[in-house]
Amino acid sequence: MTPDYTAMSDAEFRALIRDFVETEYPDIPRFPLERLHWDVVKPWYLKLSQRGFLCPTWPVDRGGMGLTAAKHLIMVEELERFGAARVHDIGPVMLGPLLLKYGTEAQKDHFLPRILSGEHVWAQGYSEPGAGSDLAAVRCEAVQQGEDWVINGQKTWTTLGMDANWIFILARTDKTVKKQAGISFLLVPMDAPGVSTRNILNLSGEAEFCEVFFDDVRVPLDHIVGEVNQGWTAAKALLGHERVFIGAPRLSASALARLEHLARHMGQWSDPVFRDRFVALRCDVLDLGDLFQTYLDRLRDGTEIGADVAMLKVFQSELYQRISDLTMEVAGPASGLRHPPQGDRRLHAAATYLSARPVTIFGGSTEILRNVLARAVLGLPG
Amino acid sequence: MTGAGMDDWIDNSRMILDSARAIVPADGSLARIRGLRGQGPGFDPAMVAEAGGLGLYLMRVPEAAGGLGLGLRETCALMRLLGEGLVPEPIGATIMAGALLAEAFPEQAANGDAVMVTAWQDSPGTLDWQGGAVGGRLSGRKCAIPGAGGADLIAVLTGAGVAVVPRDAPGVTLHLEETLDGGQMATLQLDGVRADLHPCPGAQAVVQDAALAHAAYLLGLSERAFALTLDYLRIREQFGRPIGSFQALQHRATDLKIRIELLRAAVEATAARIDLGADPTLRARDTDRCLLRGAETALLVSREAVQMHGAMGITDEADIGLFVRKAMTLAHLFGAPAAIRARLAQGLETAA
Repeated sequence: MTPDYTAMSDAEFRALIRDFVETEYPDIPRFPLERLHWDVVKPWYLKLSQRGFLCPTWPVDRGGMGLTAAKHLIMVEELERFGAARVHDIGPVMLGPLLLKYGTEAQKDHFLPRILSGEHVWAQGYSEPGAGSDLAAVRCEAVQQGEDWVINGQKTWTTLGMDANWIFILARTDKTVKKQAGISFLLVPMDAPGVSTRNILNLSGEAEFCEVFFDDVRVPLDHIVGEVNQGWTAAKALLGHERVFIGAPRLSASALARLEHLARHMGQWSDPVFRDRFVALRCDVLDLGDLFQTYLDRLRDGTEIGADVAMLKVFQSELYQRISDLTMEVAGPASGLRHPPQGDRRLHAAATYLSARPVTIFGGSTEILRNVLARAVLGLPG
Repeated sequence: MTGAGMDDWIDNSRMILDSARAIVPADGSLARIRGLRGQGPGFDPAMVAEAGGLGLYLMRVPEAAGGLGLGLRETCALMRLLGEGLVPEPIGATIMAGALLAEAFPEQAANGDAVMVTAWQDSPGTLDWQGGAVGGRLSGRKCAIPGAGGADLIAVLTGAGVAVVPRDAPGVTLHLEETLDGGQMATLQLDGVRADLHPCPGAQAVVQDAALAHAAYLLGLSERAFALTLDYLRIREQFGRPIGSFQALQHRATDLKIRIELLRAAVEATAARIDLGADPTLRARDTDRCLLRGAETALLVSREAVQMHGAMGITDEADIGLFVRKAMTLAHLFGAPAAIRARLAQGLETAA
């Protein structure tokens, strides 16, 4: 029996989440800058699932919490305040809502419980070597043969794909039409014959993403979500809250806190030149917080979030990079150390600097987002 | 705010903006502004009276003292509109005088029959009163006072209170310098000027409020300069295409938009926090960062606007030039950015 979270006061709900994370968080890192792999983060995923906290936005009758935007935000705030690691959330955050909107009843009945139980760990197969920012150019192909789709092609930059046992992909199912109109959304088990992966080491030397190859891979015809050739629409329709949260000031605020710690350690905290630059960055973080709040207010009011929300991500990600630049300056020769100096992760300038690289690339590169803003928000000609 | 509904400020702001259309024409014409440049003080006393007739100078005078007792959200909404119109009349300075003087705010200033400005800084951006106020006679110096050249009355902030000083009182000397916007900036010299001092324990907060209102003016200025520039990017053609179709310009325009939205969000949130009772530490910090953001944004947007207007941008004829020169005149009026950041740095230790 799921408690009625809607009837709880915000304060009661906040206390519930805070108490839960403080008592139930397993013995795994807090505030990790890198993504943790499934073998490490699985106990936390299962704790969330057992308590019914894994899928806050899903409806209650599907095992979710049915949270309003306001309560969802409280939950996010409390988990982040504690520094809880991000779990493998492609299933809960992306596929689940997509199935709820476009899936058949049979698909919902089969896949949603398996996301909740952790039996299925999902990866997202969107990007390809020739389709990054221009995602609609995907070439990975699915052809109908009898009762199956037969898939051939390659996906890449698949985050934590080596941990996943299922992947959803955007596949080309019609080459004769406008590129967006010939894409379908398919579900593929990664243990199917013909699926193989190859890890990609990132700049930190870690395998955070991989390539996925499809060589005559067969999946049943009912492993499509939505209509044939309607995959692009489905893939683009989601991510309401996520588009706001990706621009949250939290990442920059925590980088600023680490920078203060580092500056004190290096004896630069009272240096007026440093402080002048630090204060300027701090003002940026606070101003971003005020702008972010206007979008949270819109989520609460149920106001439509438009293309302008990308402003948050553009400024947030570049601000994080500017903070990481100053962090490297303060660290001096320690900038190039592979491991945290003296075992103190907050002194590890290189980790901050490297973690600041993907933020302007993934989730819409800043250059693409500026194009979108110029056209859709400023109304400049194409 | 006593007894007022939580959302009264929305209706109040709408009414104030409607009435202020008598000052800022809805069609966006800048002909009046252009014509006033270099004409004495650079503003029109008749328009000062018009604003007085609308009751604008009473906004920040408490209701108990016969004022309107409106909040900073309403004040910032007004100042943003004045910034859009590059209004040269010292309306913000008169509102500030009213807030400082309360019951002692002269009626002829409140109704706009007399032009009243505020002299608050001894040296740029500081409240340190270095002059004397002995036996009811003021001596000292105040700097960076726009509009004083056309003023009848000057509210002088001292360590012992606020004085109302007639511009033509014995011992008053104004040193006027022309500013780029076509107005004047004054330095005020007081040599044994006889004046009554009115206690003003809230002077620090009034100055911070005025700084925030100033940032709102810079917001309006930036928004309008940006809107003119977007229009130009859509219309101006080179190589057979509108120049706004070029990605280099699109990306730069996007950055300006982001800066403007940050300023808008910071000003509106800060005004709301103060209206709802922010503590003094937060008030000081947030008004300072709005000042920084306002100064940076107004200068950035207006100079980028000049660049995007090409050679037209460096002519006197193009309206965009009015914006860059107003931004240069006003951006640092409430203090130099480096000094403001130094003040914020002092607050770091006590920050949460």
